[in-house]
Amino acid sequence: MLARVANNLFWMGRYIERAEHVARYLNVNYFSSLDAPNELSQSRQFVLRSMMFLVGEPIGDDSIELKEEDILYNIGLNPLQPYSVINNVKSARENANSARDLISTELYESINKFYHFVINYSVADFTKKGLYDFTVNVTEMTAILRGKIRGTLLHDEVYAIIMLGINLERATQVIRIINAKYNDAVKAKGSYGDQIGHSFEWITLLKCVESYDMMRRYYKKTPTSISTLEFLILNPDCPRSVINSINQVHKHIRVLDESKTPNKNSTAFLISKVKGEYDYKFAEEIEEDIQGFIEKILNNLVQISLKMENEFFNY
Amino acid sequence: MNSDANKTIFSSYNKNVQLFDEVFDSNGVAKNVYQKLLELYGNHSIQDYVQLNNKAKASFFNQGITFQVYDNKMTQEKIFPFDLFPRIIDEGEWEIIEKGAIQRSKALNLFLWDIYHDKKIIKDGIVPLDLISSSANYLHQMIGVDPPGGIYNHISGTDIIKHSDGNYYVLEDNIRCPSGVSYVICNRTALKRALFGVFNHYKTHSVTNYAENLLEILESVKPKGVDIPNCVVLTPGMHNSAFYEHSYLAKAMGVELVEGRDLFVENDFVYMKTIRGPIKVDVIYRRVDDLFIDPLEFKPESALGVPGLFAAYRKGNICLANAPGTGVADDKAIYTYMPQIIKYYLDETPILNNVHTYHCSRPDELNYVLEHIHELVIKPVDEAGGYGISIGNRLTKNEIKVVQQEIKQNPRKYIAQPIMSLSVHPTYIDDSESFEQRHIDLRTFTLLGNEKEFVLKGGLSRVALKRGNLIVNSSQGGGSKDTWVLKK
Amino acid sequence: MSFEYSITYIADNEYENPVENASWQFLIVPENNDTQELIRVDINNSLGVKNEFSENGYGFRTIRINTQENFQKLNFKATFILKKINHNPFREVPVFNIPSNYELVQSLGFRVDFEPFLGQSKFTTLPQSSNNLFVLDPTQSIFDNLQKLNLWVYRFIKFTTGVTHVNTLLDEIIENPKGVCQDFTHLFCALARSNRIPARYVSGYLHQGNGYFGDSQMHAWAEAYVPQMGWVGFDPTNNLLADDNHIKVAHGKDFNDCSPLKGVVYSRGANKTSHSVEVRSQQ
Repeated sequence: MLARVANNLFWMGRYIERAEHVARYLNVNYFSSLDAPNELSQSRQFVLRSMMFLVGEPIGDDSIELKEEDILYNIGLNPLQPYSVINNVKSARENANSARDLISTELYESINKFYHFVINYSVADFTKKGLYDFTVNVTEMTAILRGKIRGTLLHDEVYAIIMLGINLERATQVIRIINAKYNDAVKAKGSYGDQIGHSFEWITLLKCVESYDMMRRYYKKTPTSISTLEFLILNPDCPRSVINSINQVHKHIRVLDESKTPNKNSTAFLISKVKGEYDYKFAEEIEEDIQGFIEKILNNLVQISLKMENEFFNY
Repeated sequence: MNSDANKTIFSSYNKNVQLFDEVFDSNGVAKNVYQKLLELYGNHSIQDYVQLNNKAKASFFNQGITFQVYDNKMTQEKIFPFDLFPRIIDEGEWEIIEKGAIQRSKALNLFLWDIYHDKKIIKDGIVPLDLISSSANYLHQMIGVDPPGGIYNHISGTDIIKHSDGNYYVLEDNIRCPSGVSYVICNRTALKRALFGVFNHYKTHSVTNYAENLLEILESVKPKGVDIPNCVVLTPGMHNSAFYEHSYLAKAMGVELVEGRDLFVENDFVYMKTIRGPIKVDVIYRRVDDLFIDPLEFKPESALGVPGLFAAYRKGNICLANAPGTGVADDKAIYTYMPQIIKYYLDETPILNNVHTYHCSRPDELNYVLEHIHELVIKPVDEAGGYGISIGNRLTKNEIKVVQQEIKQNPRKYIAQPIMSLSVHPTYIDDSESFEQRHIDLRTFTLLGNEKEFVLKGGLSRVALKRGNLIVNSSQGGGSKDTWVLKK
Repeated sequence: MSFEYSITYIADNEYENPVENASWQFLIVPENNDTQELIRVDINNSLGVKNEFSENGYGFRTIRINTQENFQKLNFKATFILKKINHNPFREVPVFNIPSNYELVQSLGFRVDFEPFLGQSKFTTLPQSSNNLFVLDPTQSIFDNLQKLNLWVYRFIKFTTGVTHVNTLLDEIIENPKGVCQDFTHLFCALARSNRIPARYVSGYLHQGNGYFGDSQMHAWAEAYVPQMGWVGFDPTNNLLADDNHIKVAHGKDFNDCSPLKGVVYSRGANKTSHSVEVRSQQ
């Protein structure tokens, strides 16, 4: 496979995954805040700031009054904001276009429909009444794409590279969402006499990554900070957990690098090393210094991505 | 819907008897091969048809079989307009077209070999030296170069029309980078999906075997010493208007679709950059124009090419299809010598007719052209895609004067032909929600390899969608029809 | 009799911003022909990448270097040791059959065979009004006429550096007849061709021991096809026939085909290039 096209496939996977998480974050935060148990979590400003925090543009100044329509437009449909859903979908399709001869007609057709759905979505509808419709459609269409990727591509290098992109991005987005919600939980602390460990924000967090139901089934208790972190980071059976994504990355890199003992400078070696570290982590350890943990793992993920680019996508 | 809804789809078809209708004879009776088709289409109401038509369009759109139009600084994606009423060519007529297309391809190949080697046809006074020495597409770098397998025009697209006399005429031979073959296949797929019940009443040749034949042709011209050649398709990139076709062909052949930046040359061999390091490339089906293939040899500003590619080609380490320099033979002035070229190299009479052509470079013919512009089509010899064409009977007096001036300034640049009356075919028109007569032509696709030849049994019947318009190119608002070639 | 030359070609390229990806092609290697033989080649580039030998579109040897490493400076140095066989073009002049020579150059077969060197290329296109600037005298031999053309061009253009550049067309030269060897050669070729004599642009090195024009750069002259003699070198910049001091590298229709350095460089911003050439005789 061409190195350039491999790069396109990798980023196609990443952009699809990113679009999904951003869209769901908008949806879940907006709608669960409406009947949140405390005033701050219900506040529009609080929710809008959380959204901006997630997309990497935190608003530090509390005196700025954010306009709901502007924020929703910027994150959803503003073609000039690199973090917007519309831009992620555009980039996903552009990357798919360059690799069009390698992906199935079915997958391409789904990406194409997805693209046309997003670029033709009326801005007025979206900011006034379409938030739910738009975000649900985006997340459902990405689910279709995952199905097409799994079901209409040969499980060879092409598939492995797309899955590497998807899983690295998923791990990254889950961490970023944890970071954003942790930040919200810190802010909301004490506003209704509760501890951060039992914040309402943990439920929102789980819903943002579609893991609330799984979590309830597994722990049969209201989520706490420890159980949520444990579930979303360390539970290998949770399909959205960081460790699950890293395990997937570990599995798929072996398709590209089949050597039994990977060279110590290779991507495969680095992935194994990172995986080894998280295999033996426990939640309390993470909670002790959650900021430090988040920075470290994001850095690990960036290093893996950079190494992949150098080893496989250099053209 | 109004009361029209129950009318059958041909009830308001207006037949202009001045035009040659491919479906109905001069008495308005459907020709044999179309009778069954009309009966089957007759079962549909206009409403049904509108629905089918919209579905087919949506299918093209969703599959991304589109081209981009730049309008008001906005890029719009459009589908290539497609008509659901197919054109049928019976086996007898097809045999003539197929033989004629191969004859032309072979003659052109021999002609190209000759003008890049001994130039006998010029020395013998058959073709004037000036046609070559003044052609921008004659590449001196190709003189004395032997392309692998001796093939220059691996892929030819021949544009054929049916005139009001019922005979086929060739309008032009495209042997640079003829495009459109992917639409032939898409049209067939769309028609089969929409009207499968119609399809099984006819024994029609398949068109999906094009890619496998193309791959065989490419493999047949592998460089010396190569066992199993690695073939690739070279595209200018996803912003090129024919990118869908490039990706379709790569995918259907199962080969890599590369851009210039994916390739590099080392020691006069060509390699592509893969995730597992460099892999040697042996045959390139390139959809990049001659002057852009190698910035070190041709246009230095080209970012589409590969530095050193031409040196590798001269060494015989890579095959390019089509060969560089073929453009000289699809010059429209060369076209006019086709009957002589066929006679000279093959000692045969042309199977397909040429349209009579006046050369503005010849003083007596120039005078005739200047005086008869109103009844001629004036074409620049070196433009493709229907650009720069003037149709005499559509011009105002002032416009004729402008054309006369242009011709006088550069007579070598123009040829003129009688205005041919292209045949018409019933075509569904969105605006009037009915079938109307529209002019059509036919682009055929001929492949030439080392001891192998192939003509796609089918082709792109292009439709001029504007009423009365004679220019069918997609860049000029043309559409297309599926074309059925019947089996014996 | 023969003697040796040592030729040094140096090119220094400096780029304002880092270059990510580049290919260069040098057309600077002396060809082997009846009067010269290349004995040794030494090439060095500061990037430490491989120097590949190849050929340009007309079969002349090139040196190509490619790099994907980031850099801002390229120093390139080539040294050639060459054996030159002493020859005096005037000693080889035959007795011309003048009418049959003119008949030959008019004949179709001749015009077809020499087509590349009879047409007007970008740099050898004369303004319409200047086609008759120099007309051959049919009573004299083509060789004599070409020597007169050589002198005519030599007198017409005043050798001046810094007025013209690599993209100067003949229109400008006719209007303001000042220029360097490249311009002399283009004008010579254009006028020979307008008289139906095949002429080609030659690039090479000039040994300047005798104070000839043509500074420490590559030199250019012309070759014209003279019936009964073959291709003969004319150096209109110096009003000479090409001789022992002219070391040929390549020929083509005009400068475009003979450019000593072509590069494809992916970088933004300005760049500076300087070339220098030194030819020493080692008798």
